[in-house]
Amino acid sequence: MFTHLHVASGYSFKYGTAQPDALVARAAELGMSALALTDRDGMAGAIRFAQSCEHYGIAPVLGINLSFVQKKYRVTLLAQSGKLPALYRLLTAINRFNNENLLTYQILEEASEYSSQLILLHGHRSQLAESIGARKYDSANSIYNSMRDLFAEQVIECTSHLIRGDGPLSTPYAAKALGFARDHKIPAILTNSARMLDRADGPVADVLDAARLLVPLHQRHVERHNSEGYLKSEIEMKFVADEISRMAGERDGSALLTTTHLIAQRCYLSPRRDIGIGGVHLPESSVVGSATHAEMAQQLRARAEAGLSRRYSSSQSVAASVRLEEELSTVESLGFESYFLTVADITDMARSKGIRVAARGSGAGSLICYLLGISGVEPISQGLLMERFCSTLRGELPDIDIDVESARRLEIYDAIFEKYGTERTATVAMVDTYRARHAIRDVGAALGISPMEIDLIAKSLPHIRARNIGKALENLPELKHLKLDTPIMRMAIELAGRIDGLPRHLSMHPCAIVLSDAKLLDVAPTLRNSSDYPMVYFDKDDVEAIGLLKLDVLGVRMQSAISYALSEIKRVEDSTVDIDLLPLDDCDTFDLIKSTRTLGIFQVESPGQRELVGKFAPSTFIDLIIDISLFRPGPVKSDMITPFINTRHGHRSRLTLHPKLDPILDETEGVVVFHEQVIRLISVMTGSSLAESDERRRQLGSHESQQIVCDWFYPAALAEGFDMATVDKVWEVLRAFASFGFCKAHAAAFALPTYQSAWLKAHHTAAFIAGALTHDPGMYPKRLILDEARQWGIAVAPIDINLSDRSYRVEKVDDVNEYEVKTPYLAPNLASTGAELNLPDARGYAIRIALTEIQGISEGEVDTILSARPYLDLNDFVLRSGSAYPTTQALILVGAFDRLHNLHKEPIEGSLNRRDLLLHAQDLYKLSASKKGNVGSKQLTLGLTPPPLEPSGLPDLTRSEKVRHEVDLTGLDISQHMLEFYGDFLNQIGAIRSSDLIHHRAGSTVLVAGVKVALQTPPVRSGRRVMFLTLDDSYGCNDITFFEDVQESCAGLLYSSWLFLVRGEVRRTGPRGVSIRATKAWELGASYEKWRNLNSRERASYG
Amino acid sequence: MFESTTTPAQTPPAVLAPEGEPLEFLYQGRRFHIHAIVSRWRESGGWWNRIEDGNRLHHQKHLEQTIFDDGARAIWRVEAAPVGALATFEIELDEVTGTWQIRPTSRPR
Repeated sequence: MFTHLHVASGYSFKYGTAQPDALVARAAELGMSALALTDRDGMAGAIRFAQSCEHYGIAPVLGINLSFVQKKYRVTLLAQSGKLPALYRLLTAINRFNNENLLTYQILEEASEYSSQLILLHGHRSQLAESIGARKYDSANSIYNSMRDLFAEQVIECTSHLIRGDGPLSTPYAAKALGFARDHKIPAILTNSARMLDRADGPVADVLDAARLLVPLHQRHVERHNSEGYLKSEIEMKFVADEISRMAGERDGSALLTTTHLIAQRCYLSPRRDIGIGGVHLPESSVVGSATHAEMAQQLRARAEAGLSRRYSSSQSVAASVRLEEELSTVESLGFESYFLTVADITDMARSKGIRVAARGSGAGSLICYLLGISGVEPISQGLLMERFCSTLRGELPDIDIDVESARRLEIYDAIFEKYGTERTATVAMVDTYRARHAIRDVGAALGISPMEIDLIAKSLPHIRARNIGKALENLPELKHLKLDTPIMRMAIELAGRIDGLPRHLSMHPCAIVLSDAKLLDVAPTLRNSSDYPMVYFDKDDVEAIGLLKLDVLGVRMQSAISYALSEIKRVEDSTVDIDLLPLDDCDTFDLIKSTRTLGIFQVESPGQRELVGKFAPSTFIDLIIDISLFRPGPVKSDMITPFINTRHGHRSRLTLHPKLDPILDETEGVVVFHEQVIRLISVMTGSSLAESDERRRQLGSHESQQIVCDWFYPAALAEGFDMATVDKVWEVLRAFASFGFCKAHAAAFALPTYQSAWLKAHHTAAFIAGALTHDPGMYPKRLILDEARQWGIAVAPIDINLSDRSYRVEKVDDVNEYEVKTPYLAPNLASTGAELNLPDARGYAIRIALTEIQGISEGEVDTILSARPYLDLNDFVLRSGSAYPTTQALILVGAFDRLHNLHKEPIEGSLNRRDLLLHAQDLYKLSASKKGNVGSKQLTLGLTPPPLEPSGLPDLTRSEKVRHEVDLTGLDISQHMLEFYGDFLNQIGAIRSSDLIHHRAGSTVLVAGVKVALQTPPVRSGRRVMFLTLDDSYGCNDITFFEDVQESCAGLLYSSWLFLVRGEVRRTGPRGVSIRATKAWELGASYEKWRNLNSRERASYG
Repeated sequence: MFESTTTPAQTPPAVLAPEGEPLEFLYQGRRFHIHAIVSRWRESGGWWNRIEDGNRLHHQKHLEQTIFDDGARAIWRVEAAPVGALATFEIELDEVTGTWQIRPTSRPR
C-alpha cells in the first residue's frame, strides 16, 4: 500500500521529465491506489492530473513544492482531504507577496488561516533536514517548534536515492532524519522525490537541468548522481524503507511505510467533490443586478424582447418570437441566464467606450446573442442554429468568443476586472510546450553543439512536434548539406524527441478570461502574470473541465483598422458611416472581391484565398460564408472545392440526394459544407430534434462512435420512410463530410468583417488603406499595402515634418500635379459573361506616411515633435523638437524637410538639396552641444546666430539612393517602387508585369520579378510540401508555386532572399485565377549584376 | 575493501550474486566470502561524455535505450574474507596460572 507523496511532473518546468497522465498510468499499473502530484512552484498540472486519476480510478493527492525562507531551501505542502481551497488560497496569497513562489514566515503569519489546514513535509532540501544532517539538533528542534502553530501537521520525509556518502538523498542522511523524527515523536514518511518515470529518463533530466540553469552539461553542473528519482514500485520502495530504517536502528521499514500510508490517506481527494471536475460556476444573479434567479430570467426575457422589436419588422417578428421562446426555454432549463447577461454586459460596456466588438464562433447561431447585441449576424435568415451553440443535451458550457479592436483589448480586460473583481475574474494560463525549435535549441546548448549549426537547423524546422524532427530534416532539401548523421547530432535529435511536448513555461493565454462566481479562488489558484493581471494556473481545457465560464476576448487588428478608417472618413469627408447597418448586397463590394484585388480585406487576402475567390467569384453574403468555410485544411485536403465550383459555374450538374433534402443543400450546390447542414440532414432523415442531431453529428467526428451513429441512423431513417438507396447515399455523405464541415455561424461571424472591410475598400479606399497601414491587420508587409494604395490611384505622400502624424493620414489632393499617380487598376472583362467589374478610383486622395515609421524614433520624440509644430525651418526644428541627432538625420534622408525648404524633386545643380540639410543639421547639433556644455540652458542658444544654410555644391542624392534610404530607415519604398531600379534590366530580358500575366496563355513560359511579400508552405492534399511565393512587382502580385522538383535548388534561396527573378509556366485556375509554376528562381540583385557586367563588357568590346 | 568494476578490458571478476546481491567473489585467485555489507549505492551519469564510441553498449545484454549510455552502476562496500579463512575457536584463559589456550572447534573446509 505505498503512495508516492513527493512527485514532480513536467509541470515542474524544466525539472520533471514525465507528463502527469504518464505518472498516473504508471502508478495504476503498479497497483497503487493513490498518487500525489507536488510540482515545483506551481499547480498547472493539477487538473489534467486529477482527470487522469479519475480515469484510472486512483485517488489524487495534491501538493506543491516551494522555496521556503531562503531560496536554497524547499518544502512540500500537501492539501488534506476536503481542504484543497486552503492550498489554492495560500498559493494565491504567496503570489500576492512575491512572484518567485517564495514562502516566507511573514506570508505564513498573514495567511495562517490557510496554512493551518495543510500538512508540511520537511524533505531532503529543507532547512530542518540540513540541520539534522549537520547534527545541529537544537536548531532543528527550534525550526520544528517555530512552525507548530502554522501548519496542521509537520512531517519528516525520509528519501534515499542510494547516493554515495552521507549527504542529501543518501541512506545515512535519511536515516538520521528518521532518528530525529523518532526522538521527537514527529511523524516520518518515506518518499522518493520522484521526477522521472523510469531510470532511463536520466539524460532527459540532465538536459532539463542544463536548460533551466543555462549551463552546458558538465559533471560540475549536474545535480543528478544516479537515476533513482523515478516512480518506483512498492517492492522497490520497501527495499529503500528497510535500508533507511535498519540504518536508523529499526528492524525493518514497516513502521515508516505505515505512517506514509496513514498520512497519504488523510490527503486523498475526490476529483469531482474536491477538485471540481465537472462542476459549473456561473456568475451569481447579483452580478447582473438581479436579486433572485427568477428575476434574472425575467431580465433576460425583457432584454431579448426589447431587441426583438428593435431588430425585426412586424412581418418577421412572428418567426423570431417563436425561435426566441425556444431558445429562452433551453437557457432556462440549463440555468445559463447569467452567462448570456454577463456577456451582453461586457459587449455593451465595450460599445459604451466606443470600442468595436463582434461575436465570433457558434454563438452567432443564437437569436438571443443577436438580440442582446452580442453578435451582429441575423441568425434566422442565414440559417444558423442555436443547437450548434448550446442545447440541453450538451454537457458543457457554450463558448462565446468576442472580437474587439486589438489596440483597445486591454481596456476591456480592465473594465471586466473593475466590474467583477479579482474574486470572480482572472486571465487564463497557456502552457508553452517543447516543440521542435525550442527542443533542438535547448538540447544543442546542453550538448555544446555550435550555436550557429543549431540555429541553422532550428530556423529551418517548420512548426512541428519535436519527435518528428528526424523525419522533417530528411525531407528538407536545403538541409542536405548539413552533417546530421554524426553521433552527437543523432543524440541531439533523439533527445529533442524525448523532451517533445514537455511544458516549459506558463504564459498568459492571449485572449481567454474566466468569469465565475465568488468561489473562483477556492477552485483555482492565481498568480500575477507579467502583464500584472491575475491569472489562474490552469489552461483553457482545465478551466473548462472545472466549469469556469470562459470568455475569449480576441484582439482583432482588422476591427482596429475598420475603426480607424471610419474615423478618417469622419475627419476628411465629414460624413458618418454606420458600418454595422450596411445592407449586405452591395455590387461594388462584390466586384472588388471578384477582381481578386483583395489585399487588406479580412480573411480573403492570402494568396490561396485570392486564387479561390478568383475561381469562385462570390456575389452574395452567403457566398462569402461559403468561401470562408471552404478555405480550410479539411475541405482543401478532401477536395470539396472542385465539385462545388464546377457545379456553381454549371460545368457539372448538381448532385441531389432526395427532394426533401434539397432545400438544405441548395445554398452550397448540393455539397455539404456546414455543420448546420449536417445537423439538418440528420434531423430530416431521422425525425429527431436538432439538438439530438447535433449530438449525433459530434459523434460522427470519431471513428469508434461513427459505428454507433450508423447503427442508429439506418433504422431511424428507414422508419421515416426513406428508401434504402437514399439512406445509403446520405450516410455515405455524412460519414465522408461530417468531420470536414465548418460551423456556419462561425463563418458568418467572420464574413461580416470581411464584407465590411471590402465595402470600405471599395467605397473609401484611401481611408481603408490608411487604417490597414496604421493597424497592420493582415499577413503582408506594409510596403505592399502602400503599393496597393498606388494601384488605386492614391498618391503616397512622403513623411513631412509639419504634416505627418502619429498614424497614417488621408489627405485630399487639390493640385493634380502635386504627385505622380497611377491610373487605377482596371479588371479585364469576365470572358464568360462580358460583364465588367466596377472597381474603385481613388484619385484625388493621398496617404501621408506616419512619423512613427522612422526607425528608432521614440514615443517621446514623436510626442514632442507633434506638440511643437509647426516648424519654420530645420534650425527651428533642431531647437524646439527635442529630437536626437540620429532621428533628425533620418528625417532629412527620407525627405521630411524637402517641402519646408523647397527642395526640388529632381536634382538641379547648384540648388539646395538633402546633403546640404544634412551638413546643416550636423553644424546645428555641434553648436547646441557646445552651448549646452558652457551654459547648460537651451534658451541662451537663441541669442547666437546659427550657421547659414547654403548650397554646398555637393550633388543631390540620386533617385535610387533616395529609395535605398527610405527602405533602410522606414522599411517602405515611398518615392518609387523598389523594382523600378531594375526597370531597364527587366525590360531587356522580357520579364512581364503581374497585371499582364492574365493575357498569357496557359502553359507558356514567362519570366517575372518582384519583392517577396509572402512565402507559405500550407497543408496540401497530397501531403507533399509545396511552397507558395508571392512577389510584388508594383503592378500587383504574382503567385508562384514551387513543387518538390525545384525545391532542392531553390528552397534555401526562397527563405534567405527577398528580391527574385523567377521563370515558370503560366497556369489558369479560373475566370481570373492565374498563377505560375516555377521552374527556376534567381536572386534579382545577383542576376542584375551579371547582366550589367555582361553589358559593360559588350559596350567595351564595341566601343 | 574494494569496488568491483566492469571495465571490459579486464577479465570480468566472477561474482556470485544469485539474487542480485553479491555473496562471494574471486579476487586475485582467492575466493572471498562477504560477511557484511557496509553500504551500497548507485551511480550513473556522464552519458554525454560517451557519445563517440557507441561500442560499450554492444557488450551490454539488456539495452534499455538506443544511444544513451548513462553508465549506471551499483556499488557495494563490503567486509569480506577469503573463503575457509574464517573459523570458530575457543580461547581459554586459565585464571589460576594466567595462561592462554586456543582450540579450533570447527575445521576449515
